[in-house]
Amino acid sequence: MTRVSVALHVDGVSKRYLHRVKGEIYAARDVRLDVRPGEFLTLLGPSGCGKTTTLRMIAGFEKPDAGRIHFDGQDVTDLPANQRNIGFVFQNYALFPHLSVFENAAYGLRVRGLAADAIARSVGEVLALVGLAGYEQQFSAQLSGGEQQRVALARAIVIEPRVLLFDEPLSNLDAKLRVQMRHEIRALQRRLGITTVYVTHDQEEAMAVSDRIVVMDHGSVVQQGTAEDLYYRPASQFVAGFIGRVNLIAGTATRTPDGRPGVAALGTVIAAAQVPEGLALGDAVQLMIRPEALAIARGGEPAALRATVVSCTFLGEKVEYLLRCAGETLHSVRYNAGPAELVPEGVEVGLRMAEDAVNILPGERP
Amino acid sequence: MGTNRSAITRPSTSSGRTGSARGISPAAIAARIRRDPAVASAVLSLWLLLALFVIYPLAMLLARVLVDQGTFTTAGLAAVVTDRHQMRAFWNSLLLGSLVGIVGTFLGFLFAFTAARGRLPRWLLTAIDTAVLLPLVSPPFTTAIAMIFSFGPRGLITYELLGIKGYTVYGLDSTLFSEAVTYFPIAYLTLRPILAAIDSNIEGMALSLGASRWRVFRTVTLPLTIPGLANAFLLLFAASLADFATPLILAGNSFPVLPTQAFLQITGLFDLRGGAALSFVLLVPALIVFLLQRYWVSRRYYVTVTGKGAGQTPFVSVSPGARNALLLACALITLVIVYFYALLLYASVVVALGANHAFTLQHYRVIFTDGLKAIRDTLIIAGIAMPLGGLYGILLGYLVAKKSFVGRRSMELVSMINYALPGTIVGIAYLIAFNDRPFVLTGTALIIVACYIFRYGPTGIRATVALLQQIDRSLEEASQGLGAGSGTTFRRITLPLVLPAFFAGLGVVFIRSMTAISATIFLVSISWTLITVKILENITELSLGPAAAFSVLVVAIVFVVIAIIGRLLKLFRAPGAVAMTSVFGG
Repeated sequence: MTRVSVALHVDGVSKRYLHRVKGEIYAARDVRLDVRPGEFLTLLGPSGCGKTTTLRMIAGFEKPDAGRIHFDGQDVTDLPANQRNIGFVFQNYALFPHLSVFENAAYGLRVRGLAADAIARSVGEVLALVGLAGYEQQFSAQLSGGEQQRVALARAIVIEPRVLLFDEPLSNLDAKLRVQMRHEIRALQRRLGITTVYVTHDQEEAMAVSDRIVVMDHGSVVQQGTAEDLYYRPASQFVAGFIGRVNLIAGTATRTPDGRPGVAALGTVIAAAQVPEGLALGDAVQLMIRPEALAIARGGEPAALRATVVSCTFLGEKVEYLLRCAGETLHSVRYNAGPAELVPEGVEVGLRMAEDAVNILPGERP
Repeated sequence: MGTNRSAITRPSTSSGRTGSARGISPAAIAARIRRDPAVASAVLSLWLLLALFVIYPLAMLLARVLVDQGTFTTAGLAAVVTDRHQMRAFWNSLLLGSLVGIVGTFLGFLFAFTAARGRLPRWLLTAIDTAVLLPLVSPPFTTAIAMIFSFGPRGLITYELLGIKGYTVYGLDSTLFSEAVTYFPIAYLTLRPILAAIDSNIEGMALSLGASRWRVFRTVTLPLTIPGLANAFLLLFAASLADFATPLILAGNSFPVLPTQAFLQITGLFDLRGGAALSFVLLVPALIVFLLQRYWVSRRYYVTVTGKGAGQTPFVSVSPGARNALLLACALITLVIVYFYALLLYASVVVALGANHAFTLQHYRVIFTDGLKAIRDTLIIAGIAMPLGGLYGILLGYLVAKKSFVGRRSMELVSMINYALPGTIVGIAYLIAFNDRPFVLTGTALIIVACYIFRYGPTGIRATVALLQQIDRSLEEASQGLGAGSGTTFRRITLPLVLPAFFAGLGVVFIRSMTAISATIFLVSISWTLITVKILENITELSLGPAAAFSVLVVAIVFVVIAIIGRLLKLFRAPGAVAMTSVFGG
C-alpha cells in the first residue's frame, strides 16, 4: 500500500458481539477502507449494517477483534480515543449540558493545555465559522437542534483533528434543515480539507456530501465508489435497491441476435450495457433498469415493449407511472412532462429503454 | 444502528453489563485490576465496609437468634411464635402497616392529583410542598406529642374545647392517624412525578373520544397510576412497620406492635436474645415488602419518570367543581398539619400546655443547659456523617452505574439492606455485633455515625444512579474523543453532572441524623447521646415543654440546612444540567 496518499487506512477490521438471541454475530467483518487526505468518505447502509461500529472503531471507542487501523501510516489500533486526535460528531450531539457554548467548543483545547488567549481566539474563529458568533454564553438547552449541531461541529473541528468522524449527525433535524446542514458540512469540509468519514443510512444525503460512498450490509463492505458508480453500475441487487429506485425483472442470460450480451425477459431479448463477470449463458439473472430510463414512447417513436398503464401519479415536476408488462409491474418516471403528455390509466402504450442504462445483476430475486 | 445496540451485549467494552453472563476468568479479573487500579481499590474498600457495617451485624443478629452455644436452634424463635402476646404484636404491626398504607396512599394521591392536575398557582404549590414536607423532616415524635396535646387527658380539643373527660387517646386510631399524617408525604412524592409524567395528550385523546372527565380519570389516569399506587402503599407499609416512636407513645398497652415490643424487651427486660428474636420476626415482612417493591412494582411503571417534570401544559382534566372539592380536602389536611406544628411551637413557649398558658422561655433554657450535650453530640455526629454519607453515596452510585466489575449488582443490593430494614432491626444488629470483640464500638460516636452512613447514604446512591442513567454515554465519549483521559473526563464532565445527587445525599443523611431514633436508640451511651433520645426521655418523664422545645429546634435546624442545600443546588446546577426535583423523591 502507498501510505503517502492514504490518510486513513482500515485494514480488515472485525468486531463480534454476543447477541442475546442470535448468539455470536459480526457487527463488522473484515472491513477494508482507504481514505485519501481531504477526502469525504461516507459509510452507507441500513440499520445494523456495521457502519457505526466501523466508525466507532476508527474513533477508538471500540477495539476491533481483528485488523488494524492506521492514521497517516501510523498504527493507532491500540491507542485510546483520547490519543488519536479525532473530531467526532455524535447523532445526539452529546453537548456537555453544564458547559456554555464557548466552554463546549473550548473543551478540547483546554484538555490540550492551550493558553487562554489562544483558546479564546480559536473558539471565536470556529464559532464564527459555523455561524454561532454571539452564542458563546448560551447553554445547549437554550439552543435549537440546528444550533446544537453547529456547536457539536465546532467542538469537533476546533482541535484540528486528523480525521473528522460523523455518526448520523443530521438524523435529529427536520427535513429542510437536514438539506441545509449537509450543504454546510460539505462546504466546511472542502474549505478546511479535513479527511472525513461520515455515517448515514440516507442514500440521498450520502450522494449529496460524499466524494466516495462505501455501501455496507451485514457487517461487510458490499461496494464502494462514487455516487455515479453506485447508481449506474451497482454490483448487486442490494446496492441497486438501496441507492435510488429500481426495476428488477427476473430473466435468463443470453445473447442478442447481433451477438451482444443480453437478457431474455418480459417476453423478449434486451441488450445490456453492464454484465457481471463470469456470467454464463442460461444463468438466472435480474434485469435492472431505473424508472427514469424507462419511458413511454410518444407517437411514432419505436417501442421495444408493450405495456398497460395501471396508474398515473402527477407530482408536479414529475409523473410516476405504474405499468403492467408481460406479467411484471414496472415503475416509470417522466420528468418535466407537459400537460398534454399525461397518459391516463388503462391505455396501452409502447415502452422505450435507454440501452446504456440496462444492467444485468447476478442472482434470482431475493 | 442505535436501536439494535440495546439488544446486543458487548464482550470487550467497559460499559457492558455482561460480566456475569459471560463468566469471567481470574486472569481477566487480574487484567482488569491492572488496567484500572483506582476502581479496583475503591470496589475492594467498599466491599470491606459493606461487609463490616451491613453483612456482619445482620449475620450476628441471625446468629444470636438461631445459634445457641454453637448449635443451631429455633427455640428463641419458637418462644416468640408461641407467645400469644408477641404474636398479637406481629399481627397488629401488619394491620397498622396495611391501614397506614391505604390511608396514606389515598391522602398522597389526593395531594399529588391536586398538585398535578389542579392548575394551582405557583405560590400555592410551594405552600403545599412546604406543609407536606414538615412531617418528613421532623423528629419522629412531633405528631404524637401534638396528638397528646390535643386529645390527651388534658387535651386542647377533647378536654378544653369539647369538655370530654376520660377520653383515651391511646390505641390503634390515634397511632393510625398520627402515622398517616406523618408518612403520607412519601406517597405524595412518589405519585406526583408519575401523574405529572402522564402525557396529557392521552387524557385529551380519551376526552375527545367522548369520555366524560370522570370516565377519563377512571379508565385512563387511575390505571396508569396503579403501579405508583402499589409502590406508595408498600413504601408506607414499610415506614409504618419500621416506626417505633409513634406506637411507643400513642399505641398504649392495648395495641402492642413489634418494634416497640423489641425495644421494651431489650431496654426494659435486658433480654437481648428475646429482642433479637422479635426483630427477626419483623425482618420477614420487611424483606418481603422490600423485594416486592424492588423487583415487582418498580418494573410495572407505564410512564417513565425522569428528572424533568416541567414543560407540559396542564390539561383541563378536572372540572371546576371537582377542583374546588380537591383543594378544600387538601386545605383541611394541610390545616391539620399546620395546627400540629403551631401547637408544638406554642407548647414550647408556655409553662404547661393545658394547665398554665403563661409565656415562658424556660423550656428553651432547659434544653440549652441540661440538653446542651445532646444538641452538641447530635450536631457533631450529623456533621461527620453528612460528608461521609454523601461521598459514600456518590462513589458507590457511580461504581454500580458506570463501571463493570464482579458482584456489581450484589453490591448495589447489599448497600440497600440497612436502608430497607426497619431501624429497630439495624439498631439491635449493631448492638449485638459491636458490643464484643473483635469490633468493640459500643459507646463511641463512630457506631452512630456508621449506622447513619449505611442506613441513609443509599438515598445518595439512588440519586446518583438515577442521574447517571440520564447522562448519555456519548457525553463521556465526546470528552474522550476531544483528548481527555478518564480522570479529566470524570472531573470535568461526570462529577459536575452528578453534583446534585451528592447534595441530595448530604441533605438526607444530615436530616436523618437529626431526626432518626429507631436504630440509634440502641446505640446511644453516656458519652454520646442524641436530641431524639432526649425528647423520648422528656416525654416519658412527662416534661412535654422541653420535648416540644427540642422538636422545634430540630425542625428549625433542618429547615435551615435544607435552605442552604437548596441554595448550593442552585449554585452548582448549571443551566443545562439535569434537575433534582426533590431531596426526598422516591
